[in-house]
Amino acid sequence: MNHCVPDSEMEDDDSIPSSLARSKKPSMPEDQVMELLWQNGQVVMQSQNQRSTRKSPPFKFQDSDQSAAREIRSSSYHHHQQQQQQLVADNHLFMQEDEMASWLHYPLGDASFDHDFCADLLYPSSATAAPCVTSTTATTSAPPPLGTVSQISASAVASASRPPIPPSRRNELESTRIQNFVHFSRHKAARAEQSAPSKFKSAVRETTVVDSSETPAMAPELGATRAMPSNTEAASGGNNNIDVASGANTQSAGVSGSASKDNLATCEVTVTSSPGGSSSSAEPTAQKAAPTEDRKRKGRELDAAECHSEDVEFESAETKKQTRGSTSSKRSRAAEVHNLSERRRRDRINEKMRALQELIPRCNKSDKASMLDEAIEYLKSLQLQVQMMSMGCGMVPMMFPGVQQYMPTMGMGMGMGMGMGMGMDIGRPMMPFPNVLAGSPLPTPAAAAHLGPRFPMPAFHMAPPAPPPDPSRIQPNNQSDVMLNPLSMQNPNQQPCVPSFADPYQQYNIGLHPMQLPSPQNQTMAQPSSSRPSTSGSKGADNLENHPSGDMAR
Amino acid sequence: MSSRRSRSRQSGGSRITDDQIYDLVSKLQQLLPELRNSHSDKVSAAKVLQETCNYIRSLHREVDDLSERLSELLATTDSAQAAIIRSLLLR
Repeated sequence: MNHCVPDSEMEDDDSIPSSLARSKKPSMPEDQVMELLWQNGQVVMQSQNQRSTRKSPPFKFQDSDQSAAREIRSSSYHHHQQQQQQLVADNHLFMQEDEMASWLHYPLGDASFDHDFCADLLYPSSATAAPCVTSTTATTSAPPPLGTVSQISASAVASASRPPIPPSRRNELESTRIQNFVHFSRHKAARAEQSAPSKFKSAVRETTVVDSSETPAMAPELGATRAMPSNTEAASGGNNNIDVASGANTQSAGVSGSASKDNLATCEVTVTSSPGGSSSSAEPTAQKAAPTEDRKRKGRELDAAECHSEDVEFESAETKKQTRGSTSSKRSRAAEVHNLSERRRRDRINEKMRALQELIPRCNKSDKASMLDEAIEYLKSLQLQVQMMSMGCGMVPMMFPGVQQYMPTMGMGMGMGMGMGMGMDIGRPMMPFPNVLAGSPLPTPAAAAHLGPRFPMPAFHMAPPAPPPDPSRIQPNNQSDVMLNPLSMQNPNQQPCVPSFADPYQQYNIGLHPMQLPSPQNQTMAQPSSSRPSTSGSKGADNLENHPSGDMAR
Repeated sequence: MSSRRSRSRQSGGSRITDDQIYDLVSKLQQLLPELRNSHSDKVSAAKVLQETCNYIRSLHREVDDLSERLSELLATTDSAQAAIIRSLLLR
């Protein structure tokens, strides 16, 4: 919120100067005007030099400045369409040109004057708040008129608390505004901001509302701030923002008289004394907050640094050393340190072991070694599975003509690379396939022989020989049919027998499955070649069976 | 197993020889792609275990992705080869 306020002001300032040919303090009047508009009825001049001093607002200038105010207003509309329009619309009800004129003058005047002026304006402005607001809108637009106003306000400044601060100051005060803003909010105890068309105001309001609670506390600060009339441009800038907020605060919260004055002034838009006071007070508070925050941060950092376990331990060990004797204490210290570190290390390892145990499916082992063994096996199976699946993914897209070519290649590569591992989790699915192929047209004896020694590889080896002979003998269609038939026959056998591929641990039971599959298939395809693979497969299955059983018994 | 039992009185209640653990950890390390190359001496057991957990999780994810992709592919492809592959892999 705070940021919004200054930003909007900044924008205004930029736009105003650029838009306004008049070189008069371009930013000042416009910014001030805007702030003024927002405050209900209290068109405190947005004097950046917010001063808490409150003096009777020199309304005498109003009449003379009406024209100027109007001019400003018109220009303001021009430039600050968004905010001003809103402001104007809202404030029109309350604004009175006369007051606006006076306002316009004030902003251009000296900061100090402005503050005073605004303050004065604010107080009487409860009735004149509206006018002030309107004036603010006007002021925002017309820098030149403000210039004239400033002159007049200069004289009136003495009486006024804080006239709107010139835009130039505003820019500088942007940063401070935020501070002041906060400050003000405290003081002002959230004076109701009637017209807050622009986000500026809303932002201000928010801040003020928040701080409203603190207003009473800030009251004394306000007084102090007021005493510091020179809230410099920075303060004024902040005040402007704060003024809006403070204005709201002041309106709502009946802060102490001085504070109220300031609030009013700020509410009105900026310059009033309240803004100045708030800004000044905000500054100190902001400054105070900064160091405290820094201290906190440093403390945290230190704590973080100290929290390093090792450091802490060493320190504690050192303290222990100091407390105890010399030699024995040293040993004890070392032992303690060692124990502590050892304990920590062990805890970490146990924690990781538990996590690993959860990851591994069906792990009911409690001791570390067996659990680690299972982890190793599971990891291997997972790796194989991923490899197979990725290969399958690669195969599927290239189904058609190249599959057969790929199959042998695959078989070769896989046979080479995977060896037993392959057999473990691929043998299962592969078993029926080679059998089928063997059963179908022409599994060569050689191919069948391959099945025996390379249990895992039978599928791959069979595939190449099977398809080529098929086409030669049978047309491709038939081949596919042949292939399909065995597959269909296989499926019923396979599905119940073979566990899902995704269940790696079932690999351990692979020995059983191949056993079952070949037998029915062999029966269906009574062929010498097929029988051989079945026997060899059964042998392999037996081997595999023993292996998994051995593992399971473990 | 007997060795483990005899050492049940070890500190911290660890009933397994450190050597066993060390062997297992080294085996695990060989499986892990990241830690395989790095010198195995200085890799702590905790780190190996951590890497193993991470690796298993990543493999799980990969398997899920691959299975999803595979199922999609096999569903779309309607050829005989697809059926073969499906039978091979999805069992």
